Amino acid sequence: MFLITCPYCKESRDQNEFSPAGEAFIARPENPEALSDEEWADYVFYRTNIKGDHWEQWVHTSGCRKYFLVKRSTITHEVLEAATFQEINSENAS
Amino acid sequence: MRLENSPSSLIDYTQPLSFVFNNKTYKGFKGDTLASALIANDVLYYARSFKYGRKRGIIGAGVEEPNALVSLEIGGRYTPNMKATEVMLYDGLSAVSSSNPNSVDFRAIIKPFHRFMPAGFYYKTFIKQKVWSIVEDRLRSLSGFSKAPSETDEDVYDHIFQHSEVLVIGGGAAGMAASLEILTNSKSSRVILVDERENLGGELINEFTTDKNAALWYQETKDKLLEYKDEENPRLKILTSATAYAWYDHNYVEVLQTNATGQSMVYEGGQAARKVLHKIRTKEVILATGAHERPMLFEGNDLANIMLGQSVRRYLNEFNVVAGKEIILYGNNDSIYNTAIDLSENNIKSKVIDVRAPGQESETVTKAKGLGIDVFQGFAVIKAKGKSRVTGIEISQVENQAKPPHWKSKWRLTGDIKTLSCDLLATSGGFNPVVHLDCHCGGKTYFDEYSQAFLPQKERNNRQVCGAVNSIGFWKDAIVDAKNKAHLTLQTLGEDSQVKSEKLTNQSLNYFNVDQFFTPLEILNKPKVFIDLQNDVTTTDIALSIREGYRSIEHIKRYTAMGFGTDQGKTGNINGIAVAAEFLDSPMSEVGTTTFRPAYTGVDFGAMAGREVGDFFDPQRYTTIHESHVKSGAKFELVGQWYRPWYYPKDGEDMHQAVNRECLAVRNSLGMMDASTLGKIDIQGKDAREFLSRVYTNAWMKLAPGSCRYGLMCNEKGMIIDDGVSTCINDNHFIMTTTTGGAASVYSTLEMWLQTEWSHLDVHLSSVTDQYSTVAVVGPNARKLMSKLCQDVDFNSQNFKFMQWRPGTVCGVKARIMRISFSGELAYEINIEANYGRFIWDEVAREGMEWNITPYGTESMHVLRAEKGFIIVGQDTDGSMTPMDVNMNWILAKNKPFSYIGRRSFSISALNSKDRLQLVGLLTKDAKVVLPEGAHIINNKGISVGYVTSSYYSPALGRSIALAQLKGGLSKMSDTVLVKIVQEKQGLKEIPCEVSSSIFYDVNGDKVDGNE
Repeated sequence: MFLITCPYCKESRDQNEFSPAGEAFIARPENPEALSDEEWADYVFYRTNIKGDHWEQWVHTSGCRKYFLVKRSTITHEVLEAATFQEINSENAS
Repeated sequence: MRLENSPSSLIDYTQPLSFVFNNKTYKGFKGDTLASALIANDVLYYARSFKYGRKRGIIGAGVEEPNALVSLEIGGRYTPNMKATEVMLYDGLSAVSSSNPNSVDFRAIIKPFHRFMPAGFYYKTFIKQKVWSIVEDRLRSLSGFSKAPSETDEDVYDHIFQHSEVLVIGGGAAGMAASLEILTNSKSSRVILVDERENLGGELINEFTTDKNAALWYQETKDKLLEYKDEENPRLKILTSATAYAWYDHNYVEVLQTNATGQSMVYEGGQAARKVLHKIRTKEVILATGAHERPMLFEGNDLANIMLGQSVRRYLNEFNVVAGKEIILYGNNDSIYNTAIDLSENNIKSKVIDVRAPGQESETVTKAKGLGIDVFQGFAVIKAKGKSRVTGIEISQVENQAKPPHWKSKWRLTGDIKTLSCDLLATSGGFNPVVHLDCHCGGKTYFDEYSQAFLPQKERNNRQVCGAVNSIGFWKDAIVDAKNKAHLTLQTLGEDSQVKSEKLTNQSLNYFNVDQFFTPLEILNKPKVFIDLQNDVTTTDIALSIREGYRSIEHIKRYTAMGFGTDQGKTGNINGIAVAAEFLDSPMSEVGTTTFRPAYTGVDFGAMAGREVGDFFDPQRYTTIHESHVKSGAKFELVGQWYRPWYYPKDGEDMHQAVNRECLAVRNSLGMMDASTLGKIDIQGKDAREFLSRVYTNAWMKLAPGSCRYGLMCNEKGMIIDDGVSTCINDNHFIMTTTTGGAASVYSTLEMWLQTEWSHLDVHLSSVTDQYSTVAVVGPNARKLMSKLCQDVDFNSQNFKFMQWRPGTVCGVKARIMRISFSGELAYEINIEANYGRFIWDEVAREGMEWNITPYGTESMHVLRAEKGFIIVGQDTDGSMTPMDVNMNWILAKNKPFSYIGRRSFSISALNSKDRLQLVGLLTKDAKVVLPEGAHIINNKGISVGYVTSSYYSPALGRSIALAQLKGGLSKMSDTVLVKIVQEKQGLKEIPCEVSSSIFYDVNGDKVDGNE
């Protein structure tokens, strides 16, 4: 029962409006055919499952339908940050 | 019995109420609980215990009660397992014990033979005899819980969302003080005050008899609170008869409130809820949940009329009832003296037995002695005497040879045993702070040596604790504590507030004290010293579990079933922990507590559902054509949330007959189907083509405007997730269709790729499922009808080929006509703006009469497509099937530059194993036998090697057909396999079948052009 502030709608809303969409920053490999089976399996199946601060993708299903990024503590369930892909990309670039 | 009115009474004697309990009629008053009214009527027994069938009486006065479980009302108002102590009396109430104490119980009869039934007795005894399943049924029917309701609930329930800056849980002295302090020191903060009782005040009301200041403070504070509540735009909401039962992440608290009448009232305007579930989101929580009393331990401590001291006090003060005349109070803290003093004020004599040695005495003890109350200090109760109710006690002198802070008690019984007679024994073994809620989402407890109690963890974000839950039991101290915590809360909210750190007296320690856990082994080793009254767990059960090697309190709990009941061990668990500590010889802090999980108290299923029942359970989706289907007598099938026509029975046909008729009509002349529910996604943008070729396995770059193409969609694991036909409107515009059930998830998945990985692609998606209606015209005569309906399209098969589409005007309505087929017959799908759906359907039906046009439903559609071997994603595939597994290698593009979704996985060795389940056809040797879907194909060792996914009787072929997933099936053509089925009366049977191609009908596709 989290409260998440959608970075597009700019409103803090109940978790019911959102759907989780897996761990963040799992980029699809540029050239899948060049990968070994192990490397491909790592992309398709393996996730970090960390205890601590975790970046994940969420989508505002009952709202703007935008996918965005959430940093959440898997220990306390505290939502530490919610941002658009653009915001995080430009942050990383600078 | 009922006493005369007292100043603290909450009973309204002007409103007598009549009610029925266990088939007898009684009288009570407004303000009574069911329990207090029954005590007033001298009812003694309420239940048979779970394991031994012992008769049990009431021990508590509130939520902690383990024994007095009742079922309320009958029929559609029946509610099982309510605590009599929590049910507010209303006129005409009817209740029965969950387990009848007055019936003969075989467990009570066999008791002499099994004087000592250890933990796991029934299970250990009967499992070896292999009769456990029979015995279990019998025992369950005897056990102490109500039967489940069998009728639809007549009452209604509401959900209300609430928002506040501060939520105060608990409306006793601390909660009231904290709420008022917030309101008076803030101009904007909204407060919700919640309490499980009908009236605010909690245990403070008990002080009124002896302390005028308590009554005065209560009245003043309540009046001020009510002023805030009655303001315009009030900042205060008070929820009484409302239990906060769960505290979830981000300060989301659920509260269940019961209507004062205990049932939903029917008015002219509708029905008011029997219970309301408040969903509260708050910034700050102030926890003032108080404490539960724990009973003292001694042999026979489960006899009727052995109650908790504070409960006896509450019954006396709040309800003017008392359960006996010859009363003994026994405990280890000052609360028993308070009860004795209150009894004395009512001219009832009592004796006090205090395990604490004489010595330094508090004011309360001195006062009690001054009133002439018999006090035995340094004495303990060894045993309660009596058959089913207490008639007397044996006491002995005790002394504690241990020195604090090392808590480990060294209690020794000394001196001779004395016998005292009594008809009511009230015990108090100290107080357990109600920490449950605080632990629901991550809060920890710690064992406080000073107060000898498990307290909520000290620091937590956005939460304060005050009053008895913070081990501050003396009412004046609780108020000071609450005010201090209110100021801390205001500071967190960013309000200008000064911390007034008022000092506390040390009187609370007389309630929370170092002699809390009185557990001499001489008493614990006796039989029938009960820890958990609802589940009949005794001290010896705990000793046994430890002897058998259990160490963790969580394991001891599960082995003995301690705290498993509807009361969740609110009185017993802490004693269980203390006893385990004693036997394990380790400190309480190391033994720890069991885990506290929601819900704190029982929640009605009706309340969880709220108004989302019946027609409101799930959205119901209808196509615009629905009314015409109803008129045609269609039977409907739920597909996702859609109501789709299943088949259209005529003249008393059963489904089999109707489907045969419908299928033959399509194969021989003309049929029509409502295909509006298929998911439709409008795809636009200059990269639309590129997008399609990334998400589908086949090629899309050369699909010309005016054409359609079937596509198969996989996930990255290489598994089929959807299929459908997409139509090229122009180079930048496509319309994709998806399966009816998969529409939402496919749309969401496509959006995810576009937004997360391919944001540079110029593609925009819109769901247009509801915007178009689709009427499929299917059969060899389809062209003739279409030519009649639509003049501006050339339907000649050379000019309008299979897998093409044309814009046109059908009966005056603009349409897109797609020539696609899910049956193998010549077929056109007329897509029109949704609102024209029914008009076009009716026109098609009317104009098609010439060819005896026959509407058909999903069942015939399934038969027709199975005859052609077309898969249904989700029926013939299950998320573990690749395109190769369903023999569709032809749809995998070889030369697409972009490695489309799922492609890389196809080369993984596991997906190329010869042994994978593969889709094949099955033909039963006996053409009449239709295999049940889901039946397993077995090998010669009887082991499953696959199963049937689709199975029908094919009217066109005059025999049964089936699709199946079979291990290595594609290389087993013409083999004979056995399918194991269960037949009524005949039992298991193995049906021989021939493995075949999955295409059964019109193998060469000759029929797709229909009749000219």
